[in-house]
Amino acid sequence: MAGTMTVCRKELADHVGSKRYIVLFALILALSTLSAYQGAEFIRNNPRAGFMAIFSGARFGFAFTSLMVFFGPIIGLALGFDAINKERTSGSLSVLLSQPIYRDSVINGKFLGGTVALSILTVSTIGIMCGVAMPILGFGPALEDVSRIALFTLLTIFYLAFWLALGLVYSTITKKTSTSILMSVSTWLFFSIVITIVAMLVANMIVPIITFTGPGGGPGGFNQTQTSEYRERIQRWAAIQTNIQRISPAYLYSEASSSIVGMIGGGGFIGGGGMIGGGGTPFRALQLTQGLASSWPQITAIAVYLVICFVASYMLFLRLEIRAGG
Amino acid sequence: MIETQELTKHYRDVKAVDGLNLTVYEGEIFGFLGPNGSGKTTTLLMLMGLTIPTSGTAKVGGYDIIKDSREIRKIAGMLPEGAGYYEDLTAKQNLDYIGQLNDIPKTEREKRTKDLLEAVDLAKWTDTKVEKFSRGMKQRLGIAEVLIKQPKIAFFDEPTIGLDPQGTKEIRDMLFRLNKEQGLTVFLSSHLMYEVQQTCRRVGFIRQGKLIAADTIENLSNKLSGKGKMAIEFELSEISPVLVQEIEDVNGVTSVDQENRKLYVYMELDRSKEVSETIMKHGTTILLMRPKEYKLEEVFLEYYKEEA
Repeated sequence: MAGTMTVCRKELADHVGSKRYIVLFALILALSTLSAYQGAEFIRNNPRAGFMAIFSGARFGFAFTSLMVFFGPIIGLALGFDAINKERTSGSLSVLLSQPIYRDSVINGKFLGGTVALSILTVSTIGIMCGVAMPILGFGPALEDVSRIALFTLLTIFYLAFWLALGLVYSTITKKTSTSILMSVSTWLFFSIVITIVAMLVANMIVPIITFTGPGGGPGGFNQTQTSEYRERIQRWAAIQTNIQRISPAYLYSEASSSIVGMIGGGGFIGGGGMIGGGGTPFRALQLTQGLASSWPQITAIAVYLVICFVASYMLFLRLEIRAGG
Repeated sequence: MIETQELTKHYRDVKAVDGLNLTVYEGEIFGFLGPNGSGKTTTLLMLMGLTIPTSGTAKVGGYDIIKDSREIRKIAGMLPEGAGYYEDLTAKQNLDYIGQLNDIPKTEREKRTKDLLEAVDLAKWTDTKVEKFSRGMKQRLGIAEVLIKQPKIAFFDEPTIGLDPQGTKEIRDMLFRLNKEQGLTVFLSSHLMYEVQQTCRRVGFIRQGKLIAADTIENLSNKLSGKGKMAIEFELSEISPVLVQEIEDVNGVTSVDQENRKLYVYMELDRSKEVSETIMKHGTTILLMRPKEYKLEEVFLEYYKEEA
């Protein structure tokens, strides 16, 4: 345990002092502040929206929840992708492992240090957002909102920690940081963008939808969309798409955060199109318990992903052969 | 201090270390010699508990390398081949981190850090980031990292590789001093013959994972190919076959090798007086006469030839 804390402290100091972390932190902070302004604006225009709308009220994908869906993977992976292989190439890993510590201390300490760094980022960003919004609104979060913010913060840390753990896996299975960074970027692209397209394609294959440009021309197409059969088709199509997207932790996070924070219209997933033009639809906020209950499956899924990734990196690292010549 | 029994490590179908039986005594500087890829580093990694042997056992300082590897790492330090440091930390921070990992209390750690950086001549660079260090400086920092835990035994894997002669000498002197002053057992793995000859008294030769000889350099050279216990090198003004024949006939001389104007005379007993008298009788001038010293390189190559 002593070894874990030592490694953790060093990793934390490294992260917090690194350019990478500072740049990401600054970026997130700048975008989030903007998002808090927009959110506050939204609340002023929609008196029924509660305080929580500062996290989801901003338009054009600028809501904090959408920002995290999109940037979360980068932040988490950025702190994890070179954790092990960088030390392996530089040769400091064998020095580290010749000290009287257990091998698990290294991987535990690295994960813990990274998670603390991510928590600092999340907590301070959310705190600053509240601080920015309150003077504009003239009121602060209600008691229930506070617990909601706490829950949302925890969810976000969880979500970021998952990406960190995935980064750790990549840094353990690859020897070169250039390989692991490529893997990280492609994972991010896949789960943030590609999966949406894939989901649509698959849904189209299973339930083909005849669109407006059908043989019947303009009026005929319009009539076509009014049939109950067509509506059912659309629903099935959407269900298939959603279920495929649910593979993505980013989508799970966007669903869970929508339930906890409350959302505008339908979903806030990037590329899902829910945000655009959603300003007119009424803001829907669930009770805290309701929100928690409905987001529970997603939270569990993210937790399972996190545990799988961490255990994988742990096992891989424990079995890592330290060989002559790295 | 170190005792290995049939220590073996396979990587898939490659036998990196194959049934190694080796003993290193307390307080000595032991040289572990072998070409690249002969299993030196793998042996060290196993002894430090960084990699697990396929079969066989070993003890370091009385601790089993599998069950008590953490205890070994408390009393043993290692400077691995191509050791790396945290480039964006200073020398002091690097050393302090290693100290923390060894559970050394803060005040003691600070004291040792300061003393060691002085000892390895890096006091001026205490607060300089390691990325600015030269290779030799990094290597000296590595030695400080080995010593901060005040080990009983220190493993050095090719410590002078890539260093200039000055840096090599500094490191060699440091090893001598530690061995002498603190009774540190030093296990030096290297493929540089000259370095090992300068530093170690006992050596072990490893070849394709097998130990082919382990003894003092003296004994090893004496044991060589039955050419006798003594050898003398002569340089003469001229050499005739008759003279060579006559020297060979001197009682006690086992063989004579000729190399241009040099003669190497091998004998069971000290017959240098008789041999030089024989040479002078021929009216030949002795330009040089000295006991022939085996270079470790020759000894090593001889053993290699024999084994092959």
